[in-house]
Amino acid sequence: MVALSEGEKHFIRGGIEQDIRTDGRRRLQFRALSVETGVIPQANGSARVRLGGTEIITSVKAELGKPSILHPDQGKVSIFVDCSPTAEPMFEGRGSEELSAELSVALQRCLLGGKSGAGAAIDLSSLIVVEGKVCWDLYIDGLVISSDGNLLDALAAAIKVALSDTGIPKVNVSLSAASDEEPEVDVSDEEFLQFDTSSVPVIITLTKVGRHYIIDATSEEESQMSSAVSVSVNRHGQICGLTKRGGAGLDPSVIFDMISVAKHVSQQFMSLLDSEIAAAEAEAAE
Amino acid sequence: MEYVNPLTGFRVDGRRPNEMRQLKGEVGVVARADGSALFEMGNTRVIAAVYGPREIQNRGQQVNSNEALVRCEYRMAEFSTGDRRRKPKGDRRSTEISLVIRQTMEASILTHLMPRSQIDIFVQVLQADGGTRSACINAATLALADAGIPMRDIVTSCSAGYLCSTPLLDLNYIEDSAGGPDVTVGILTKMDKVTLLQMDAKLPMDTFENVMELAIEGCKAIATYIREVLLENTKRLECQRG
Amino acid sequence: MKGLHLSLNQTQRVRLDTALQELQSLAPAAASAAAVTVADTIPVNQEDNILKGHGTVDQDGEVVATLCGVVERVNKLVYVRTLQARYKPEVGDIIVGRVIEIAPKRWRLEINFSQDAVLMLSSMNLPDGIQRRRTAVDELNMRGIFVENDVICAEVRGFQHDGSLHLQARSEKYGKLERGQLLTVPPYLVKRKKQHFHHLMQYNVDLILGCNGFIWVGEHVVVGEKTKTTGDQQKSSTEAENFTPLETRKHICRLANAVRVLSALGFTLTVELIIETAEASASSNVEINDMLGAEFYVQTAEREAKRRADLLRKKNGAR
Repeated sequence: MVALSEGEKHFIRGGIEQDIRTDGRRRLQFRALSVETGVIPQANGSARVRLGGTEIITSVKAELGKPSILHPDQGKVSIFVDCSPTAEPMFEGRGSEELSAELSVALQRCLLGGKSGAGAAIDLSSLIVVEGKVCWDLYIDGLVISSDGNLLDALAAAIKVALSDTGIPKVNVSLSAASDEEPEVDVSDEEFLQFDTSSVPVIITLTKVGRHYIIDATSEEESQMSSAVSVSVNRHGQICGLTKRGGAGLDPSVIFDMISVAKHVSQQFMSLLDSEIAAAEAEAAE
Repeated sequence: MEYVNPLTGFRVDGRRPNEMRQLKGEVGVVARADGSALFEMGNTRVIAAVYGPREIQNRGQQVNSNEALVRCEYRMAEFSTGDRRRKPKGDRRSTEISLVIRQTMEASILTHLMPRSQIDIFVQVLQADGGTRSACINAATLALADAGIPMRDIVTSCSAGYLCSTPLLDLNYIEDSAGGPDVTVGILTKMDKVTLLQMDAKLPMDTFENVMELAIEGCKAIATYIREVLLENTKRLECQRG
Repeated sequence: MKGLHLSLNQTQRVRLDTALQELQSLAPAAASAAAVTVADTIPVNQEDNILKGHGTVDQDGEVVATLCGVVERVNKLVYVRTLQARYKPEVGDIIVGRVIEIAPKRWRLEINFSQDAVLMLSSMNLPDGIQRRRTAVDELNMRGIFVENDVICAEVRGFQHDGSLHLQARSEKYGKLERGQLLTVPPYLVKRKKQHFHHLMQYNVDLILGCNGFIWVGEHVVVGEKTKTTGDQQKSSTEAENFTPLETRKHICRLANAVRVLSALGFTLTVELIIETAEASASSNVEINDMLGAEFYVQTAEREAKRRADLLRKKNGAR
């Protein structure tokens, strides 16, 4: 996306080698993070996250639906990402389809667990209303308003914040329904159940440039990468998902090293995100 | 459903029939764009970003080389409406609104001053609660002014309808989907000329005149607000420049 | 402010507002009074034959603004000086641009203007330095001089009759820029001065303020080495030793961050101000990365308010 001359690329590579990047950051330092909740009042939960020049708005909407036949005791979650042309002129029309699809799939893999639903960040069985008949369908939508690199990490952080802001309405089921009829449900407008986001992981993308890895790459630095590994780590230090994108092959020992670096960085990032969420909620409560 | 309370005269959201929703406009919200703006009319929120004037990317699209090419794309976020839309872009309504915004802004931009270039206007709807078309045009005007693109006049747009025998200004989503007529007007405010006029459903002629007059009043009020926002912004930039 | 979205805490917000208020009160009142937006009527004396300049149009006998900006009057000329807008080239401007395309006998450069600018092969010094006619071999070797995405500094030569903008880079000081970073700021923050090339000896850094808003901060290159052919750069084995030295890199990053903060605040960029901001950050031990943080942002605003207040006091005292 970003065109750079050989001289500028050389400068960026040198900076990463010497641990001073173009904006003065160290290799394992994030840009300024700012978080806001409740930006979309008509959604069940929403957030706006800014990571340097990248800006994401996510919303979580809950609708009643029917659980799938294979998993009658679980609700459904789907994640979609859209890149707005306001961020980049090349996202207009269908220009962003490839990128949006790639980001959506990567997020689904990290947050939704395996095909059986095991290991999902969100406890799908908590979304069930009436087993086999009625469940909550969660639609998580991410919109990229401004793009300056590291979209995946910012999207994952925005989803985590939006989920912490989400309230699922309480549902009263009329018990007198016959077993093969559609039960009547009464969606409460008053009572909400807050989501438990303690098991939602964050994603840390490590970009390898030369011999070193950096985190939170700007789009200029991303154009320099030889390969990138995105690791999804939860609060307990467990790895919830792993993606490797980018051409150059990596030695397995290098990958193990990158994973341990990601784990270490993720703890810091998660505590930073938690404090930002708390601050945002405090401000929203004012 | 009582859209206008017969006793108090208030509408469903507590407004009077000729009262507009709360307006909010802000420029410079997308750093990368040449000009950008956020515009809110009540719960309808729209971001517009302008890229240009810049070199024409696709020679094939250029019709007249003595004028700038104006392009526009309208997109709704999936979470912008009450029920989640699955295909927010490329559908017929988006294409039509993109065309409408482009034609409205083209009427005002002095394209002959920027030959052999293109101006891209991207409008992204974050929240839709009726009057999205108007909010998009107002946001686009702010964004174009922020980008320093010369225009003949400030273009503003507002909608009005007719329910329970009362002309209503600036319909929200509930009033819009009530099945009554919906008149959207866009005007060049200083020159007092209408550049956009759309209506659906049916209205008797004299009622139509009243409703259109009301919409034009709304447009003028929005223009005053937009002018204030731009003037404030210009003064602030000039003072800080030093 | 564009570019930096910072979360300021309560005290920082108050301090920032105070500083900005002070800047507003220090600004000459005439400037604010002359601010106009699109479709505002500009008051003119109808008897004088006023020349309607840039940003104005004649509508029903009145002079109406087509842009947002400040009205300037010079003798009989009335025009609107824009703030936030694309670059408006003038002959002789020194600009920094990026090569987009190589076309027969010319390069196309992006310079933040409504069209791409053209640099003819004949307006460029040949690598061997001899002044001679460009041959067909030279045309084929254009890639040896500049490739796509190269950053070049050049001078505006003028508009051709077909409306395209031509540049020239004949002097020794123009040419390819390497070993540094390119920043983009709004063009109105760069004032036209006598000197746009600044060699900061204390840092060993070149600072070039392009009139088009492209600012280059890079390692110092001795004048005359800029038009070396790219063939020399192919030695990748020596690349690791060839990186910019750490001290110079720190200075480059500090200056670049100073430019970022100043442009986010909307202050006119002068070399003195940039150096002052960078020095202030170094002397108060602000980490290079923290220069883009909230605290330094507020401090820079306060420092600038104080500086302008002092300047005004000196001017008033001198009368």
